[in-house]
Amino acid sequence: MQRRSRQERGAQVMVSKYSVVGQRHPRLDGRQKATGRSEFSDDVYLPGMLHGKIVRSSIPRGRIVNIDTSRAEQLPGVKAVITHKDTGGLMPGPDTVLLCDEMVNYFGDEVAAVAAVDEDTAAEAAELIKVEYEPMTPLFSMKEAMAEGVPPIHNYIEDNCADDISMAFGDVDKAFSESEHIRTDEYVIHPSHSSFAEHHVVVADYSLPEKLTVWTPVQSSAIIQMSLAQNFGLSSSNVRIMNLNTGGAFCGRGSERPHHYIAAILSRKTAKPVKIICTADEEFIIYRGGGKYNFTFKTGVMKDGRLKAIEADLLHDCGPYVETQFIMLRFTGFQLQMLYKVEASKFTGKLVYTNNPPYFFHHGAGLVAMRFAFGAQLDAIAKDLGIDPVEIRLKNAVDKGYTTLSEMHFASCGLKECIQKTVKKSGWKKKHGKLPPYRGIGIGCGVLRAGGKGMFDHDTSAVFIKIDEDGKVSLVTGLPDMGQGSHTAMAIIAAESLGITPEDIKVIAGDTDITPFDAGAISQRGTFTTGNAVKNACSDVKKQLGKTAATEMGVKPSELVFKDGKIFSKGKPEKAILFEDAVYNTLHSSEGRFVMGRGFYNPPTEGVSGGDYKGNPALAYSFGAQIAEVEVDPETGIVKLLNMTVAHDVGRAINPMAVEGQLDGQVFSGMGQTLFEECIMENGRVLNPSLLDYKLPRPFEVPGIEHIIVETNDPYGPFGAKEVGQGPIQCTSQAIANAVSNAIGHHIKELPITPERVLEAIRQKNKNQ
Amino acid sequence: MRLPRFEYVKASTTGEALAALQAGDGQTRILAGGTDLLVNMKYRIERPATVIGIRTIDELCSVTTGSDGSLHLGAGVTLSSLAENSLIKESCPGLGRAITAVGSKHIRNMGTIGGNACLNTRCWYYNQSQLWRDAREVCRKAGGNVCHAINGSERCHAINSSDTAPMLVALDAEMVIQNREGERRVLAREFYRNDGVRYNALEPEEMLSRIEIPRGNTERRTAFIKICSRRGLDFAMANIGAAVSVKAGRCSQVRIVIGAIASHPLILEKTAAVVEEGGLSEGGMEQAADTARTELGTLTNLFSSAGYKRQLAQVLVKRVLQELKGSSRNKRRAGK
Repeated sequence: MQRRSRQERGAQVMVSKYSVVGQRHPRLDGRQKATGRSEFSDDVYLPGMLHGKIVRSSIPRGRIVNIDTSRAEQLPGVKAVITHKDTGGLMPGPDTVLLCDEMVNYFGDEVAAVAAVDEDTAAEAAELIKVEYEPMTPLFSMKEAMAEGVPPIHNYIEDNCADDISMAFGDVDKAFSESEHIRTDEYVIHPSHSSFAEHHVVVADYSLPEKLTVWTPVQSSAIIQMSLAQNFGLSSSNVRIMNLNTGGAFCGRGSERPHHYIAAILSRKTAKPVKIICTADEEFIIYRGGGKYNFTFKTGVMKDGRLKAIEADLLHDCGPYVETQFIMLRFTGFQLQMLYKVEASKFTGKLVYTNNPPYFFHHGAGLVAMRFAFGAQLDAIAKDLGIDPVEIRLKNAVDKGYTTLSEMHFASCGLKECIQKTVKKSGWKKKHGKLPPYRGIGIGCGVLRAGGKGMFDHDTSAVFIKIDEDGKVSLVTGLPDMGQGSHTAMAIIAAESLGITPEDIKVIAGDTDITPFDAGAISQRGTFTTGNAVKNACSDVKKQLGKTAATEMGVKPSELVFKDGKIFSKGKPEKAILFEDAVYNTLHSSEGRFVMGRGFYNPPTEGVSGGDYKGNPALAYSFGAQIAEVEVDPETGIVKLLNMTVAHDVGRAINPMAVEGQLDGQVFSGMGQTLFEECIMENGRVLNPSLLDYKLPRPFEVPGIEHIIVETNDPYGPFGAKEVGQGPIQCTSQAIANAVSNAIGHHIKELPITPERVLEAIRQKNKNQ
Repeated sequence: MRLPRFEYVKASTTGEALAALQAGDGQTRILAGGTDLLVNMKYRIERPATVIGIRTIDELCSVTTGSDGSLHLGAGVTLSSLAENSLIKESCPGLGRAITAVGSKHIRNMGTIGGNACLNTRCWYYNQSQLWRDAREVCRKAGGNVCHAINGSERCHAINSSDTAPMLVALDAEMVIQNREGERRVLAREFYRNDGVRYNALEPEEMLSRIEIPRGNTERRTAFIKICSRRGLDFAMANIGAAVSVKAGRCSQVRIVIGAIASHPLILEKTAAVVEEGGLSEGGMEQAADTARTELGTLTNLFSSAGYKRQLAQVLVKRVLQELKGSSRNKRRAGK
């Protein structure tokens, strides 16, 4: 057995005060998933259901001269053909027209759609629709798009500049002028795709004009419900979102897409339910994955490694539609001053419209690219100053109680602990600088908020609980589970609160006609925010049951403890009543009370002000550190990721098994973004739009992973928990890239680190020697 | 993605299959494992009117030994069963390695040696959906007059990614082709053509029925190496098959064949000559690897850059020679 440090033993002792929280728990739906019984949206078959197919633009830019739908309409089995004129001018986004009207703006833009009796007929009909274009010169590079006098992509934005922000905190000029060493580097991160296991799919039933029901995988039923209701002029409760299971989301399924509207319009027109599922190549054509990032980082430090100022500039291609990219800009600006103590930071970011496909958040909220760039530069600075990369991080790391320049406040923070533990476990001190040629070791650190305001004015989750007379609990939540195990986490929180087991709890989710409001599984808010709502609902239940129990036992309700399936008095544990008996007796009495709990949670923060970007958007922030070890084949350039040591400050591990699952998943995805995955763009099209040619790694590529769960017991989190949703992946790219730089002795500035780029870096290094 | 409509003919003899092929007027395709054809049909790259199933033709599904000791591999034998074949393991382990390098276990369970040997060539600009291809001028492989891989080129540069092809060429295998008139034999080295469109010697009404691998002398050593991005389920960025007879330190009958970087497996004759000259000494191997780089001809930037393909070819030659040096000779006993 391995010797545990005192701190680790301490953590163990702390965990033991809970019966369920902190125990390893297989997912409640694990058996169903593993045996193929879980239902996804494509499993929905409704009576009379039609199949839809979207006709997409075959050119990247041009004017639509004519759309001839006559042959498609005559094809037997075709029930509806729609074009822009059937949409009522609906706009899914501020710069997005549903089914192109005059212009097509990217290769794959939606032009028309059909609904037919089956998928084959729909596909055949779609091929029969002939669209005549007057092609225009497409703008594929940001330079072309920003040139003087080019016809803009949207005529209301003349300079093709979709967004342009500047976010500065502290006295940047002063901090740079006082710096003893300043370094400027440029980084390029190429586009990578989310490659969801479950393709984009929707079943829309708008048979009756007053009610729209949509089955689809989403991260937030609330957001899609709100958007569909607004755009179709429906009352929000008349839009019912059915979110069965979601086969991967990775930050890419936060909102609705054109196909949701198209399916609904086809359904309205035919008075039948309509299903649309994207084919493998359509997944890449409609894209909405990570874009191409061009970062410039200028950083000033003192000779001892103390950070003075960080200035970053991001020029970002946003394709023809801005989607979520404006949020990514702001997140990036905040991140500059969230992980390390710095005197001043400045971010300038610009989004440029092009005729490349539309981008979106990609796994890691668009921040992995930024974290890679700065992490790589920090290593270069450490090398310049002759400081160990670990030391420069520890020297500048934020602490518990720290308030950032933008007034974010860290009520708990395990960053240093994460760094120290990964360093120890990985054997960093024995390895860094001492490995054989072409072996390398690198570190990466990250921070991310657990929920927070921004999407709505509030950040609310609400939960209902009903308890049947046999003591079995139904927990009703609007929080989706897209694979991360959130429903099991909610059951564990409820089980701990009520003193029962997670198996006594049934999670009911994914139907907005039933579930209370929940902002969704976005911004890493599930465990923290919905978890707190679950606790509040449980408190409500305990009040109701406590009255019965206290009366029966002759004690005060305030003295009651709910534990191990029993309710007992703190002072007299021998006097206990079974949880299920309390439930039964509460109903079967003259009072006849059926136990129902309700609770909601909205973090009491002010959010960030629009003007100076200052304020605290979230109550909790998670931190992490990862160390990667790699081996580089200097002849082929192939990098082998040998192992990863991964620490994350989750506040409290509600379910350590699920935490490890999240760590593994994010190492996997981060490794993909760093070493394998690249959408090779040529003239606005992905050259490799399939999982054969897009090199998504397979399980065989997963390295050995050491998990270190750091628990800082956040004062606001449910049982102290924060997030593990997308925090860990923030560290992965930097750690791997820094390990490769360390292995070959050359600063890697471009992702992904393909074999060809590795060989080029080795050539550069040899040239410089 | 969905399959287009087609007629299906289940052939129970080679004769039936050939009859159906001829009746099909060039619009007919043979379906063995389907791991290549069905994918291409889903992409609407191939739209055969008729598909002939040959999985139940017994004569295509057996491995036998010829009177001269050669190994006869029926075209319809699955890659999985060949991977377990002891004759292959003993006499040409390189072929065994090439077979297990194909796709994944699932693909090898379905895919056949004939199918992999006849693998269609691939290109970024061709192996795409209809919508994707419609956005560009029709390329040579799709029946047009342009090549998007190399602008202005007179031929198609789609890449032959077969893992078994370079090894079959290196083994001097013979491809036995059948048509209604009878059968004809073509050496593997002549079977493959440096043209992405007409990438092998099969005529529309012909089918590959078996592959014959000469017994080889007892000094024959074989090796195969594949370099790809992922461990499995991936086409090679480059692969190499090699065979050599080593006797008293002297190398003869050297065959070094690079695959997956051009429209056909590239036979490196100059490199082989260097090996025959210099043997498997460290210096000789280095020299051979340097020679390989110079005799590859025009390469495309398809899937990876031409420069990187050259680099991999050089590295592969060195590594395959090192492996041959350390490998054991033909273990097939007399009479077996």
